[in-house]
Amino acid sequence: MDCREVRDHLAELTRNQLPPDVADAVRAHAAGCAECAESLRVEAALRALIRGQAPRYAAPPALRARVHASLREAGRRPAPGWRSWLSLHPWKVGGLGAALAALVAVWVGTTWLAADPVSQLVSQAVEEHVEYAQAAMHRPAPDAAGVLAALRSQAGFPLGPLFAGDTEAQLVSTMTAELRGKSAAALVYRNGPKRYTTLLLMPGAGVTIPEEGRLPIETFKPHHRVASGKQVLFWKQHDLACLMVSDLDGAATAAFFLKIRKAA
Amino acid sequence: MDDPRSELPAEALTHLDGLYNLARWLVRDPAEAEDLVQETYLRALRGSHQFQPGTNLRAWLFQILRNTFFTQYRKRGREPEAVDPDVLDALGARRVTERGGESPPGVASGTLRADLRAALDQLPEDYRAVVLLADVEDFTMNEVADILGCPVGTVKSRLFRARAILQELLRDYVR
Repeated sequence: MDCREVRDHLAELTRNQLPPDVADAVRAHAAGCAECAESLRVEAALRALIRGQAPRYAAPPALRARVHASLREAGRRPAPGWRSWLSLHPWKVGGLGAALAALVAVWVGTTWLAADPVSQLVSQAVEEHVEYAQAAMHRPAPDAAGVLAALRSQAGFPLGPLFAGDTEAQLVSTMTAELRGKSAAALVYRNGPKRYTTLLLMPGAGVTIPEEGRLPIETFKPHHRVASGKQVLFWKQHDLACLMVSDLDGAATAAFFLKIRKAA
Repeated sequence: MDDPRSELPAEALTHLDGLYNLARWLVRDPAEAEDLVQETYLRALRGSHQFQPGTNLRAWLFQILRNTFFTQYRKRGREPEAVDPDVLDALGARRVTERGGESPPGVASGTLRADLRAALDQLPEDYRAVVLLADVEDFTMNEVADILGCPVGTVKSRLFRARAILQELLRDYVR
């Protein structure tokens, strides 16, 4: 065994980690080599010094509690598998939920709504109404004759006589729209503070008013339903299919319907 | 699931003091050392499925701490200090010229513990880690190699070089 080999074994010799025969060979070499003997002495002395005297930093008591708490908290998270995927990607869970909800909505839409085209129509009409009402809220009432003239020219189909508003209900806006693929003309009336009614007119050809849910209002019998808290009336006049969505209550809606129906 | 030990072996928390001690020597700042230890345990928990029961849990935890230290310092652009050959040369030269002279710079001639601390602090980080793991924590050469992710020969060579520096810095105590 040469000096270099001895050097390689110094640390293990002082730790009693050498096989007995190798340890004997190292000691035998050191016995006849002053430099290796000195290296062995220094290694043993330094190891003893450091092992016994090197300052040890004691962990603060609070650290143990903190680590324990963080492990406990982490341990509460879901187990491996798809649940751990969720715990690793919590920001995706919202999207996943939304995607799932959309899937359910599509499924419901294609099964339930397909069986009831009027519901589809009403559903969209209510959405349009809410949007129009919000837009009209901060808009001053325009010149009724002017906007009605504009609507007639833009609608693309004859609108017939239209209710231009009165002291109780102002015509606040008109616009063209598309309802379930059909062209429509929309008129928005303000019935009072935060009370709006939207009248949607579209060509009546091919549109059937459901026989059920008819509401007798004087001599008229429009189809009636409540959707998303809004009163909805659906009827035909001349060649038009008319859909009315209102924030008013049932009786006020019926009264307003009469105004609109009689104007036509 | 309420008990962390259901994920991490119960023994894991008994090594907290040793882990904190090494963390303090590595990062020096007490708050950073605490963060390092906490992160070590959390990583251990996350990687607990990789731990083979019956193998050396303590060495595994120290390995995680060492790796965490490396990755966190790399993130901050704070590379661990490399061994400066000039330091070694200077120390080697001083061994010849200053034999029997005054105390080398950096080691206060105060108490043994203070001098030891100062001497260990002067070691390049790679050497200091080997000394702390091999002497203070009493890991075998093979375990130190596993923890540091380097060959056993490298560990032995670093320890030998560290000894030369320490012998010089602490010559009053090992004469």
